[in-house]
Amino acid sequence: MTRLPFSHLCSLAVRQLLRDLRASELRVLFFALLVAVAASTAIGYFGARLNGAMQLRASEFLGADLVLQGSEPARAEQVDAGTGLGLRHARVVEFSSVVATDAGIQLSAIKAVDAAYPLRGEIRSASAPYADETPGGGPAPGEAWVEPRLLAALGLSIGDTIDVGMKSLRMSRVLTYEPDRANNFYSLTPRVLINLDDLEATGVVQPGSRVTYRDLWRGDSERLGQYRQSVEKDLAANQRLRDTRDGNRQVGGALAKAERYLNMASLVAVLLAGVAVALSASRYAARRLDASALLRCLGLSRRQALTLYCLQLAMLGLVAALAGAMLGWLAQLGLFRLLHGLMPSVVPPGGLAPALAGIGTGLVALAGFALPPLAALGRVPPLRVLRRDLLPVPPSSWMVYGAALFALGLIMWRLSLDLLLTFALLGGGLVAALVLGGLLLLGLRSLRRMLAGAPLAWRLGLGQLLRHPLAAAGQALAFGLILFAMALVALLRAELLDNWQDQLPADAPNHFALNILPADRDPFMQRLHEISAHSAPLFPVLPGRLTAINDEPVRQLVTKESTGDRAVQRDLSLTWAGELPQGNAIVEGNWWQATPTQEDLPGVSVEAELAASLKLKLGDQLTFDIGGQQRQARVSSVRTVHWDSFQPNFYMIFQPGTLQGLPTTYLTSFYLAAGNDQAVVNLSRAFPAVTILQVDALLAQLRSILAQVTVAVEYVLLFVLAAGLAVLFAGLQATLDERIRQGALLRALGAGRPLLVKARRIEFGLLGAASGLLAALGCELVTLVLYRYAFDLPWSPHPWLLILPLAGALLVAGAGVYGTRRALNASPLAVLRDG
Amino acid sequence: MSPSILVAQNLSKVVPSAEGDLTILHALSLSLAQGDSLAIVGASGSGKSTLLGLLAGLDRPSAGNVILAGNDLGPLDEDARARVRAEHVGFVFQSFQLLDSLSALENVMLPLELHGRRDAREHARGLLERVGLGKRLSHTPRQLSGGEQQRVAIARAFAAQPAVLFADEPTGNLDSHTGERISDLLFELNKERGTTLVLVTHDERLAHRCQRHIRLDAGRLVAPLEP
Repeated sequence: MTRLPFSHLCSLAVRQLLRDLRASELRVLFFALLVAVAASTAIGYFGARLNGAMQLRASEFLGADLVLQGSEPARAEQVDAGTGLGLRHARVVEFSSVVATDAGIQLSAIKAVDAAYPLRGEIRSASAPYADETPGGGPAPGEAWVEPRLLAALGLSIGDTIDVGMKSLRMSRVLTYEPDRANNFYSLTPRVLINLDDLEATGVVQPGSRVTYRDLWRGDSERLGQYRQSVEKDLAANQRLRDTRDGNRQVGGALAKAERYLNMASLVAVLLAGVAVALSASRYAARRLDASALLRCLGLSRRQALTLYCLQLAMLGLVAALAGAMLGWLAQLGLFRLLHGLMPSVVPPGGLAPALAGIGTGLVALAGFALPPLAALGRVPPLRVLRRDLLPVPPSSWMVYGAALFALGLIMWRLSLDLLLTFALLGGGLVAALVLGGLLLLGLRSLRRMLAGAPLAWRLGLGQLLRHPLAAAGQALAFGLILFAMALVALLRAELLDNWQDQLPADAPNHFALNILPADRDPFMQRLHEISAHSAPLFPVLPGRLTAINDEPVRQLVTKESTGDRAVQRDLSLTWAGELPQGNAIVEGNWWQATPTQEDLPGVSVEAELAASLKLKLGDQLTFDIGGQQRQARVSSVRTVHWDSFQPNFYMIFQPGTLQGLPTTYLTSFYLAAGNDQAVVNLSRAFPAVTILQVDALLAQLRSILAQVTVAVEYVLLFVLAAGLAVLFAGLQATLDERIRQGALLRALGAGRPLLVKARRIEFGLLGAASGLLAALGCELVTLVLYRYAFDLPWSPHPWLLILPLAGALLVAGAGVYGTRRALNASPLAVLRDG
Repeated sequence: MSPSILVAQNLSKVVPSAEGDLTILHALSLSLAQGDSLAIVGASGSGKSTLLGLLAGLDRPSAGNVILAGNDLGPLDEDARARVRAEHVGFVFQSFQLLDSLSALENVMLPLELHGRRDAREHARGLLERVGLGKRLSHTPRQLSGGEQQRVAIARAFAAQPAVLFADEPTGNLDSHTGERISDLLFELNKERGTTLVLVTHDERLAHRCQRHIRLDAGRLVAPLEP
């Protein structure tokens, strides 16, 4: 045996493992790993697929997965690059033009599309205004599909003919919905959808006209990525790429939060399962000290003994990981089936990545949490066969905790992909655990003094805790972690849902009214008040372009593809307001109190993200080009804006009385309950110049996305619960041997079963209460960090967390008495004979 | 006389304690030929088990050296000593040291499997039949009585055909009747296989079945080593 070949060691490990499966700690270890991998895989799949589904939804807002947009047509090689990769392609050309009929003219937003448009989502149309919608199709050559308000404005009906430039087109259908409408609803005049083949004949698009060309692309993410890479470097100055992320801010925000939540919940589940792995692995190791010593006696070297056990665990881990991945995959399949009605019809399958990541997570957890206790098995002295009191040299605690922390950090980083947040949570958690654990230890020690006069059951129960205060504190921390994790996940769930509910109240504005002329302003608002109780204030709107900051042209100041870049490339909607609009909050400077004095420049309040991107400071002097006139203003405050609210929002708000004499229209939003379509038609007839946009469809989409996320969040909570229970039982298992021995001894000495049960209840109840207290404190600490940095939620204390000590006492006492019932039922004789 | 299979020269063991260094074995020498049987007797704490551990290479002496089957254990590190043990040594312990999760058969197969023997199962089965447990092959240690467990341990000890068998109070946990039968078995097998036996016991009757005896008192040899 001088040279025991590795293959032989492997086959020995397999045989030993199969025989060892009878051992309960190995089953707990297997179960803990199974839960870790299953939870991580299921949540991974769920997140990825849901994200995919939501991206699909979000891409409907774009009409595609990726859009190349520019004020000149895409170059041939840019198009060839996409088609060459096998991506699906559609072309859209948008411009403003006057639509003429015998009855009059109306400035309209013309959109010429080819037969492939849209690549995501569907156009919806009706045969008459407010008739039933039909999805699909598009205008044939010679046809135009128009929005109902064009018909109202010009007093026309379907079947009539309009002229777009030099081309006459027959209005064949009423356009009710185009998926990519949400992109630009502030600048909208009535939409006229025509076939791209008719574009040339209109003669409207000439060199120099203001036209937007959009090349729509659809395909799998890998090819889209390749396409993006190939065109990104050679984008012309007028071109940019848009994807779902900038397709819609409302959806984007909800998605990002949901993803972070799912990742965090999955992290919690993995963390809990990791603790279960650590507990069962250390019991596994402790119970194999004798066996390892014996193997060494029988001639195995240190390295061989260690390899043998590592191999066994690795095999167990691999099997558990594969089974867990399969289970996780099945679990998410079941969930998607359950959610069938809620989900979009096409949910991308999710690929292998989540399963592999789940397996990886499980194995990293196994390595980080199980290897340190296992290392003891290699160091056990063979003399232990003669002297049982000999224990292996304990590994340095740096190695034990270092390995666990490293594994934990790795997993956290993978799940949150945010180094700063990972360090903050890991570091904060560590400090909190040390501080709270220390306090607990002190508390336990001071209990010892009070114990002397207590009844027997208390002395037995508390004595068990006090005998190994360090171990008791460790256990309280472990149980505390479970309660903490569950409370955290539950807490975040509630706050996220509330937050989303607030974002989309039932009476969120579902109509926008744009282009209200100053003359129409008062009569329009009067009519509006008659039909709608909920309307936002009226905002003046002027299109204007930021041209210089402190007299330096902005073009030289901004980086490409930044918020600032996008803001200076197009007209911004400028407004003025005396009061800070709802949902805005000043973060720097002051909101103005009075009208500006003659000598100083008027103030302007800038949205915070844009201000950061343009590096604006208070007092900077901004120059705007508004309808050919130059206006200057000084930055007097910086605001944050609730972009995910359905209120009119502005990047720039001017001080009142500064933009007088410039052509202004007004904008408002309002809520109208379903079934009031006729009121909208009448309103739009009475004010033909006003554009009324219905955003019901958009709202409905957003609501359904939030509903999906909500269910996902609740489902994830179940996984966390399962992982928590796994830890609880693994933790109890870890102390079972000693309890069985102690119980047997007490019963041999004549203690009755009720006394033992009572002592156990006291012991676990105290442990649970301490855990609950730790969990409540930890939860407050961590939410303080998380809310602020990860979820962008306001934080306030949660007094109800004080239920946790009680809940902990009940839960741990119940599970503890149940989990250690074997210790009560074991025959004292058998136990004591075994020593 | 056959060459010595086990030689100890001036073996000492000193351990640090609160009151300073404590010598638990004083310069002890002995030599055993193949097939010899030696009983080490003495009161509790006299250093018997310490001597056994040193002779078997489970621990290192503070001074002196041990030559086991021609291998000087002195310069060898723990892993090298493990190889010597694997090659030449078998053990029987007072507390049996069977692996709880393994059946009787699997326990006996263990050293054979460590040697990579393909016939481990058959060989182990034969040995268990030899010790009278042919019908208890699949029982785990918990399902066996103390005497039966020690039989399994004896079968395991002889499985790899060691040159030297070390037994630490093999009957210490057994009643006298069962202990008698276990020692019968041990000596029978020892004789059959020509193994050298080193036995630690405070059972004088068991000690007298050995060819040679030494008595330890506070780590010193008080009765001479009779050939």
